[in-house]
Amino acid sequence: MASDTVGNGSLVPFTGDSAAVYPLHHGLPLPISRLSISWSRGNTLRLSLFAGAAAKVVEVKVNSEDSEIPDAHWRRIAYGSVAPFALLQSQRSSISSLLKTPSPYHSDWWEHVLQYSKEIGTLLGGSKLTNSPIIEGPNILVKTDEMPTCLQAAWELIEIFYVDKQSQAWLPERLVDWLADYDSLFTSTHETIHGKLVDFQKELGNIQVIEDDPRYWDLLSSALSVGWLDVVVRMLRLHGSYQLDQLSNRELENGLVEAVAVLISKMPRLRPESDGKLGDCYKSKPDFIKAWEKWRSQITKLDHSPFWIQCDNQQTHEGLRNLLQIMLGNIESLCLATCYWIELYISHFLYIRPFTMGIESMYNLAEKCIQLKPQSSIHRLTGLMIGILEENTEVVLAECSREFGPWLVAHAIELLTTGSEQSEILLHEDRYNLGGISIVELHRLAYAQILSSHALTWQIAPIYLTSCMKQGMGLLENLLYRQSVQHNDVLLKNIEICRLYELDHISSNIMKIAGVYHWKHGHKGAGVFWLQQAQDRSCLDRIAQQLFDSVGKSISDESFKKWEGMIELLGSESNPAGGLEFLHKYRDFKKSLKKVSGGKSTDAARQAVGSLILLMKNPSTPQRFWLPLLHDSLKLLNWQDCPLLSVSETNLLLNKLQELSLAKLCAHYTEPSLPPNALSSIRLALATNLGRAILDE
Amino acid sequence: MAMATTHRFPQFKYVDAVRWLPLQSPFHRFAVLALFDSDTDSSSIQIHSFNPNPLSFDSQFSWPSPSRISSLRTSHFLQKPLIVASTSSGSLHFLFADPSHAELLSEASLPDAALHSLPASSVDLMDAAVECVTVGEDGRVNLVNVGESNLSYRRIFDSGGLVSYTAVRWASPMEFATGGYGFSLQWWDQRKPGGPVSQFKGDWDKKLTSGIVHSIDIHPSRKHTCLAGGSLGTVFAWDLRWQQQPIILSGAGAGNAAVQSISESEVWEVQYDCCIKSNTSSTRILPSMICSEDGILGVIEQGEEPVELLAEPCAINSFDIDRHNPSDVICSLEWEAVAILTRQ
Repeated sequence: MASDTVGNGSLVPFTGDSAAVYPLHHGLPLPISRLSISWSRGNTLRLSLFAGAAAKVVEVKVNSEDSEIPDAHWRRIAYGSVAPFALLQSQRSSISSLLKTPSPYHSDWWEHVLQYSKEIGTLLGGSKLTNSPIIEGPNILVKTDEMPTCLQAAWELIEIFYVDKQSQAWLPERLVDWLADYDSLFTSTHETIHGKLVDFQKELGNIQVIEDDPRYWDLLSSALSVGWLDVVVRMLRLHGSYQLDQLSNRELENGLVEAVAVLISKMPRLRPESDGKLGDCYKSKPDFIKAWEKWRSQITKLDHSPFWIQCDNQQTHEGLRNLLQIMLGNIESLCLATCYWIELYISHFLYIRPFTMGIESMYNLAEKCIQLKPQSSIHRLTGLMIGILEENTEVVLAECSREFGPWLVAHAIELLTTGSEQSEILLHEDRYNLGGISIVELHRLAYAQILSSHALTWQIAPIYLTSCMKQGMGLLENLLYRQSVQHNDVLLKNIEICRLYELDHISSNIMKIAGVYHWKHGHKGAGVFWLQQAQDRSCLDRIAQQLFDSVGKSISDESFKKWEGMIELLGSESNPAGGLEFLHKYRDFKKSLKKVSGGKSTDAARQAVGSLILLMKNPSTPQRFWLPLLHDSLKLLNWQDCPLLSVSETNLLLNKLQELSLAKLCAHYTEPSLPPNALSSIRLALATNLGRAILDE
Repeated sequence: MAMATTHRFPQFKYVDAVRWLPLQSPFHRFAVLALFDSDTDSSSIQIHSFNPNPLSFDSQFSWPSPSRISSLRTSHFLQKPLIVASTSSGSLHFLFADPSHAELLSEASLPDAALHSLPASSVDLMDAAVECVTVGEDGRVNLVNVGESNLSYRRIFDSGGLVSYTAVRWASPMEFATGGYGFSLQWWDQRKPGGPVSQFKGDWDKKLTSGIVHSIDIHPSRKHTCLAGGSLGTVFAWDLRWQQQPIILSGAGAGNAAVQSISESEVWEVQYDCCIKSNTSSTRILPSMICSEDGILGVIEQGEEPVELLAEPCAINSFDIDRHNPSDVICSLEWEAVAILTRQ
């Protein structure tokens, strides 16, 4: 489309962020006279362009906003989260039925949610990334090959604050780990310690005397401030004084470096286990405080040591003492060492207030850190973090929805409700302004809507829809009706979903639609099959009339062979075939007539007469078949040995003939293509038979 | 669950069908995947090489298909692996592969709608030959032959839509079996043209809801028995010598307490399982493997409890047992992945 049509004469004034531009390649001569736009599948726009006599339809895929995770990976996440979600829902319903309360707020409930959260976490990131303890080479400080995703970081952050009650006591340390795993993500919007380390690592091979480089000491203090002890110790060991040829004349300097390295590696941590990281771990608070005091006194002692004066390398001297200041919790040093407020925040937990505090004071601390390190641009994870610290569930939801999309909201909402009864009520109560549904249901419906719009994911939408009490079933019906009946695999999946959720009326409607579709497209067998499955007698009756037209035209035995398969399909009399059961009887009659035609067996002939009478008695036998049927049975009527039809049977047939002659007066009567004397020979045969039968009786 | 090592390989594309490529090589195992990429709306046939140690499943070669694959078969002819695929637009493609490099040597095709007018068609390739039979929901039955440079075909039957065929399998160079709606099976003999020589009527049980046959298998040693799998977890065998009496091996609708049902939904594929050595008396049906819409890959044996090899949360669309290493099974999972099982 010519871009000026948008620029000059836009219909709707555009405000807000800059618009995304999607170039179209339509190859039509300008000007475009007409343009129609409609939604195609998923987030694809279908544009029909008309230019004079030429026209073309182009589809434009409107990019999903998240470029971090490609569509195919999103689908993988969607598939993988089905089983954990379904399991959690069934646990929820079994617990609430056990407790006879609508709220599943239960002492052990969080354990189920934690299991769910861990499974989703694994799905998002595979194994947890570890930042530091990979020693692959002397010049590797941080791993750069595997990039975590913001989605993963957001999920873990929510898990830390809302679900994991067990590690609530060492929440600060979990945040330290969180930043170690995900600091790299913030590099996209501001400078980070991880980013600086990566840059430095690249140049590491070219630096001759590392301790003369001011960046070396900067990075040491930075990495220490956020608790990446392994990185710090590894970097300290790169110090020139460790080199064998220098060891002798830099003995004292090396002793100081090593003393600091040992102190760092002995830092007490309030956490259950080390995970292979440096530091001495303490599970209980009193033990930790004891060790903490001791460690601090060791640092102070080293800080006041007389050896510093003897250290002649100025840079080593200053750098190491700065590290000691960091460990002693000097706020100025921490501020200098960290790049943005979250890093500063984490350093507070490590060196200033290493104990758990209430979430309110955590929020105050965060505010203080933001003041000290004002943010120029806001990262998507920052907003989420502030929302969590504010204890504002609605803000958290809004951030999840705005920044990470419906998948995260629909799944993370399970985590948010474990925290407190209050948020449980907030999220689960029905709201008038949402059309009488709860926030939880709203977000599930929104996510299900996304799933429904894609050909590969629509079949998992029912799992989410059926967990929505108010509007889920209605939307599920819509979804099922919307699927194409053209392809058997989709159709059968649709019917399978109906079976799983006991939606028999929908499945029977869908089968009817499929039956009519196939019938209309000339697949008569498939059409009849689906209408039979749907037990739609009236439709079968109607199509029967159309079908008989083609049967009537091809009454000869050769082409009747084609009908065999179709008649087999109609099955036995117990299956609903509507008017089509005539075909079955007709086939039986044809078969017995065939047997008669060769031989002279009276038994076979009697059987054929039985079939004929059944056919003629049956109301479903179309009128237009009466005369051909009788004509075909002339041989039976004129049977040599004895009259085969009784008086009453003959009368029945005569009555039918009478009816036919009356019907001839009607407008729609079509004359069967029979020899001209057919009627009279039938009349004659019937009359003869009647006479013989009367004599016999 | 039976003991088996399972490896899953996400494809990020919908897997329409999978087959092993019959190739006798000690170092390489090759699988053929019919893939559909929903992002670009394109289809392809890919040859992947599978290596259990170190584990890898990498694409070696990709052939762009004009439309989605509805049926895929592999065989070999003159020691060369041969792939045949029918597409949803009615075209048929023969691909000859190079056994040593898993490369494509040549390709021969019949254009759209030449054979079938309808989306779904099923195809089977004769063992060690280049004769192929195709059937479709439009009720046509075709025989296709690969010549020196071209494909030739002849239509041996056309029901004009009165009967639809959904599955086909060769029984011998002259005979084949087809399946369709209403659990019906037909037996065809090229020497007796004009229609099926024998028909199996589906309504063996008045209570049974009817269904569709999705897959047929015939064992080379028992050509008189036709094994079929279809709707409602139904697996049954039709012995030509006992015309209208099926042997039900599994089925939710069977109404027979003696038969355990391995699945309740569509059985998409059924194959004789040559891996299981049973005490085969000639009266019993040989063990077979099935995959189903409700995510079951399992083995059923007459008179035994069914054994589940895999129970997935999503459908298993197709599977194939490696004819050279029958303990290895490959299957396609609905959630855009492939799983390879090695049975102990």
